Amino acid sequence: MTTPAETTNGVKRRDFLKVLGVTGAATTMVGCSTDQVEKLIPYVTSPDNSVPGVSNFYATTCRECAAGCGLIVETRDGRAIRADGNPDHPVNRGAVCARGQASLQGLYNPDRFRGPMIRQGGTLVPIAWDAAIDALHKGVDTAMKSGKAGNAVFINQHEQGLLHTFLDGWLKYRDMPAHISYDAEAPFATIAANKAVYGVAWPKLDFGAARLIVSFAADFLDGWGLPVPQQLDFADARGKIEGAPRLVYIGPRRPLTGLNADQWIAAKPGTAGMIAQMLAGKVTPAAAAKATDVPQKTLEALQKEVASTKPSLLIAGGSGPKALDLATEVNTLNRTLGNVGVTVKPAEAYGAWEGVVPPAVLNDVVAAMEKGDVPALFVRGANPVYSTPAGLGFAAAVAKVPFKVSFSSVPDETTALCDLILPDHHALESWGIAEPVKGTLGLQQPTMDPVFNTRSTADVLLASLKPLPCFACPADAAEDRQHAADIAKWPADYRGVVAAHIGGNAPLQAALPKGLLTGSLPVRVAPTARIMKPAIAGEANGEYYLATYANLLMGDGRGANKPWLQELPDPVTKICWQTVVEMHPETAKKMGVEAGDHVTVKTAAGTLTAPAFLYIGVRPDTVAVMVGRGHTNAGRYANNTGHNAWGLLPASNDSAGGYQLVGVRCSVTKVDGHSMIVTTEGSGRQHGRGIARAVSLQDLLSGKEPEHEEFIGQAPGKFLPGLRAPVANDAQGELGDPKSNEMGEYDPKHVSGRAKRRWAMTIDLAKCTGCSACVTACYAENNIPTVGAEWQGPILYPDRKFPGANITRSREMAWLRLERYYELDREYKDVAWNADQPGVEARVIPMLCQHCGNAPCEPVCPVYATYHAPDGLNVQVYNRCVGTRYCSNNCPYKVRYFNWFGYGEPDRAQYAFPEPLHWQLNPDVTVRGKGVMEKCSFCVQRIRGAETLAKVQGRELAADEFTTACAAACPSRAIVFGDAADANWSVAKLIDDRRAYHVFEELNTYTAVVYLKKINHPAPAGATA
Amino acid sequence: MATIAYEPKRPNIASANVQLPAVRDYEQVDTEITATLRPTKAWFAALLVAMLCLALGISAWMYQIWGGLGVAGYNPPVMWGVYIITFVFWVGIGHAGTLISAILYLFRAGFRTTIYRAAEAMTVFAVMTAGLFPIIHIGRPWKFFWLIPYPNWRLLWPQFKSPLVWDVFAISTYLTISTTFLFVGLIPDIAILRDRETNPLRKKILAFLSFGWRNTEREWRHFARAYLFLAAVSTPLVLSVHSVVSFDFAMALTPGWHTTIFPPYFVAGAIFSGIGMVFTIIIPIRKWFNLRHYVTLNHLDAAAKLALATSLIVGCAYMVEFFIAWYGGVKAEQDYFWNRVFGQWWWAAWIMLTCNMILPLSLFSQQLRRNPTWLWILSIFINIGMWFERFVIVVPSLSHEYEPWQWTTYAPTWVDYTILLGSFGWFFMWFLLFIRQLPVIALAEVKEIVPPRLKHAHAHTPDAADDFEPETPGAHS
Repeated sequence: MTTPAETTNGVKRRDFLKVLGVTGAATTMVGCSTDQVEKLIPYVTSPDNSVPGVSNFYATTCRECAAGCGLIVETRDGRAIRADGNPDHPVNRGAVCARGQASLQGLYNPDRFRGPMIRQGGTLVPIAWDAAIDALHKGVDTAMKSGKAGNAVFINQHEQGLLHTFLDGWLKYRDMPAHISYDAEAPFATIAANKAVYGVAWPKLDFGAARLIVSFAADFLDGWGLPVPQQLDFADARGKIEGAPRLVYIGPRRPLTGLNADQWIAAKPGTAGMIAQMLAGKVTPAAAAKATDVPQKTLEALQKEVASTKPSLLIAGGSGPKALDLATEVNTLNRTLGNVGVTVKPAEAYGAWEGVVPPAVLNDVVAAMEKGDVPALFVRGANPVYSTPAGLGFAAAVAKVPFKVSFSSVPDETTALCDLILPDHHALESWGIAEPVKGTLGLQQPTMDPVFNTRSTADVLLASLKPLPCFACPADAAEDRQHAADIAKWPADYRGVVAAHIGGNAPLQAALPKGLLTGSLPVRVAPTARIMKPAIAGEANGEYYLATYANLLMGDGRGANKPWLQELPDPVTKICWQTVVEMHPETAKKMGVEAGDHVTVKTAAGTLTAPAFLYIGVRPDTVAVMVGRGHTNAGRYANNTGHNAWGLLPASNDSAGGYQLVGVRCSVTKVDGHSMIVTTEGSGRQHGRGIARAVSLQDLLSGKEPEHEEFIGQAPGKFLPGLRAPVANDAQGELGDPKSNEMGEYDPKHVSGRAKRRWAMTIDLAKCTGCSACVTACYAENNIPTVGAEWQGPILYPDRKFPGANITRSREMAWLRLERYYELDREYKDVAWNADQPGVEARVIPMLCQHCGNAPCEPVCPVYATYHAPDGLNVQVYNRCVGTRYCSNNCPYKVRYFNWFGYGEPDRAQYAFPEPLHWQLNPDVTVRGKGVMEKCSFCVQRIRGAETLAKVQGRELAADEFTTACAAACPSRAIVFGDAADANWSVAKLIDDRRAYHVFEELNTYTAVVYLKKINHPAPAGATA
Repeated sequence: MATIAYEPKRPNIASANVQLPAVRDYEQVDTEITATLRPTKAWFAALLVAMLCLALGISAWMYQIWGGLGVAGYNPPVMWGVYIITFVFWVGIGHAGTLISAILYLFRAGFRTTIYRAAEAMTVFAVMTAGLFPIIHIGRPWKFFWLIPYPNWRLLWPQFKSPLVWDVFAISTYLTISTTFLFVGLIPDIAILRDRETNPLRKKILAFLSFGWRNTEREWRHFARAYLFLAAVSTPLVLSVHSVVSFDFAMALTPGWHTTIFPPYFVAGAIFSGIGMVFTIIIPIRKWFNLRHYVTLNHLDAAAKLALATSLIVGCAYMVEFFIAWYGGVKAEQDYFWNRVFGQWWWAAWIMLTCNMILPLSLFSQQLRRNPTWLWILSIFINIGMWFERFVIVVPSLSHEYEPWQWTTYAPTWVDYTILLGSFGWFFMWFLLFIRQLPVIALAEVKEIVPPRLKHAHAHTPDAADDFEPETPGAHS
């Protein structure tokens, strides 16, 4: 039935008005939106175990160095967002270093290969996987036809696991020799000596059992050996206080281990072996003193101390002509002194360096390549074009190889020379297995779907075998059939290889949640290598020794394209985004060089021009340069950042086949030019402010208070952190009404119970080594932007267009920073070399928002953007902040950071998270906008998450139930977080420690961060040094 | 001729009763002073330059809003820089106007008569300039209104403990009162302009602005009372506003800021800088518009004494700061002051000390006090010195605080400098527009001191006209 209205033509007035009203309102509503309309689309079929907004955790193995630490990777909605340590893992026991955490930035690296590529007309162009595998097959076929397949080279980044047998099997099938398991960071002299003396590549070093540790140029806290377990054990040992070991460091440069040492013996490069021989009684102290340029009385004291202190632990590092002699001598000394089995435990060996090949094998590889004998070169993970000494001439030789294939997932100098790129998955997308500790297997599993169109190398190699029968094989049909039969037995993919090793799919599935199971991997035997003649110190020209070193962050160069690692200052020099030439102030004065002046270092192998940096921890006859920067083709953050110190090294090896990194002769000349030093250091001295305090063990035990710890204006008496602080009665809410007596949430009796808590933190400076892993943990957890890239400064600005330009304006955003102070009374440039006592006491202190109970920042904010939460947190409300920056001015600790640019805005040059780096962003934390202040929140998202979880489960928060990101990562276990008002929490006990103090207590800020004084271990009486 | 028993060589100038011998009648006052209202080529050129500077400043600010505050030279923890320095600089300049027009009015200081209008206009425009800088300075300038207590459904108020909120009240109050005071004083003068205006539209506007002033006795009585009351209201503001601005620093615990001397020290500095700016403006005006017989050397001499007095107060405050830093015994404070004067920032501190403490000592010489060229040069030094005083307060303190690890340096970028230049463009644009539209010397008040017998036109005597600039100190006073 139709109504008259419907039969009439045209639009009725009422309908017209309705339509007008609705469309008008709709238009207005759309117009109200400030941005593009975005849509949230739910899953049609939700994946198993995936609840939006709830994290899943996967146990896997870290592949950033050879140690094979266990990781627990947190994923949210299918994306890995965080790499924490696996608490059950025998190697890292829940801790994780900066490099391990930055594996996420390798996973999401914006410069990663998106898919396979092939070189056409000089440039790499994308190609489909089928065609790429076809090209691999054809290339291999050609190589085999050439008859030189026996000379083909496969260089794989050294890793524990099964891939090596798989690779060798594939290579054998292709008539090619076994692959080279390469690691430029491996300490070969030590490995060789360990094998010779202890029978294992890397015994467990039990720092806790030792009373004296002597390190012969082994920087075991930063980038030498297995940094995380070494640091864990060392910090545990030092945290014991009574019975803690004294640490002596011997070497020409004072690295992080040297800074933590109680004594630095600055032996000439390459002469530490003389000290070992002296301790063994083979040479006299006088002879050793002459060779090492160390005062004889220092050496005599050491001799006495080593003889009288049991048990001790002697560790040999170093490189150079006599490195193997040194390591062997030291290991033998450990045996003589009875340390083996006590502090050195070969029975609990680590698997990290099993099967690693000495780099000296590359000598023959290069020679063969030069001759044109190498028909094919395969590289996976390693970057030998960059991380080999310039004197070796690897890059030039590569050009003579007709077929070069890379399986690396990120571009680097080596892939730039390759013809075919078959990118592997990132380690966090891959299957694998490791034997990090003898008898224990660590599993590696994909934590998410591959980010890009990559394929596991093992799968690619398997696929390339598909076009059977082998048309290039020799006519020997029997052998051919045998190969075919072997291959038919291979599992379909690499996951199958792993599963097959541990007995099938079911055990694999059962072991995956923990990531650990008992078992072992096949023994790997490293081939021997032709050793190049070592360059004898003093042989080449030049009045200085060169000491190159790799720190944990950049490593041999592999960390350079990860902005977290570029931005994280070196723990010792505090340099980031830059390569400097470290020289002693006395040397600089002699040459008329000031900090930042350009100097050229020249060796027989090459030259390097970089700004000079005055470092008081390097001998006057030595200059030091860090390797790892100065890439030409390794991605946007790595390219043109710093200089490449590999370019200075000659092709010489130490007697174990490692590279000679220290002791090469060089000349240093001042040249025109000056650069700003990219450092986060303001003044490296405390100026008597009592920030990082220390007490000697004797004074602590006798209860004596040192005199210099007194300050004018110091608050009398002791108080608990913030518990005596006034309640923040300026807070709004119910208190907004001046007539109200309601305290609201600030009332301890309030139903929320917040005011009963007082979140607090203790940091034990006796344990903290300054490694800075906590800083990266904070970056990862709190979406802190890195700001140092060349393009992250102002757009229109004539100068300051260089990597680290923002850092030179102190604009780094690290909510947590490591301050490294020397107990000096003068500036670096005025420090003279003191041969008797070269090591100035160094102290490191992590500085973060102190969450003051009486916070100076709070009353000065005009808009309440920072205020006091009932549970003692000093809260920053980004949305409310207008950016007056008064809070920072009034903060005595200077821990507030301002967003000078739109680091979080994708359309800006300063964007800190270019696709797909932003996949890593923690969804629980806001990405801050331009023009607002930010600072440490004590990981408030974790606090509220834990509180909510407890509430949902109908229980109270358990003591030590959760912790902050920095505390979770800390490989020294120096940071403890918790509720100081509840005696059950560990932190509540630690704040009453006899070493506890507050920084700037005299300002009455009532800080919630309590530091425990560092403990110094002076040389024992009688032994004067 | 009677013998003068004692005639001192350098007689003191009685500033209370400065006469204008070369001004003979009301008509002369009107014609000579309103001559400033006629546009000249130089005026247009000056306005063009000012507006060009302003345009540059606006462009730089737009770039800064788009790009973020990082385009300026901030170097954390130096979180305040050129903008806060310039803010305090302009607020300080804004203080001389009200001091001259209100306080000196209450104290019956006659030398204010011919300079107060320029000073008062300068005050209004300086405060207008200063008020921009907190907005330029903040990270999200589009949210600056959150500092204002306005009713909102979130029941959010500003933090009334924050000195920055006090600033909002102080500056807005000061701008309101000083604008009102300027305008009220202008009413009789606008009426004169109205009467002389031929353009009917302008005449209407001026008639409206003069509130239909008819020059009656009753109007004058009300006017005088209103002016007196406004002077009384403004007087405490002169002291309070800059005290509040000084609280921005004094309330913080930053070494170098946390000191109780700041309020009086800032007020004295403000008056000092304001008088400096008055010299900078008034000396060219009296020269270019031939007003030397209105703003006589006696006037300048008296004003220079005020500058000298405030300079001595400021210098004393500097010394007290050093003394207290030493006497207080706080290590951070002592380090800071050492670093300020003999360390990293020695150059800035010595520019400040030279310009504000040493050079003004020249004003002890009466010859120099009566030398307009020297006064003008000195005024430029005072302006520079007072800008650097704020630089020395803001930057060295923040760059050298408690935490040695965070000690830094600071260097402004072209954006800072361009916005600073733009602020001068903005200020002088308003001032140039002002002198083109309204009398820069108060017509009515000048007429008050013209002797009654000369109220009407009479034949000029040449010798009297030559004597408008008293070469003899104290003549005509």
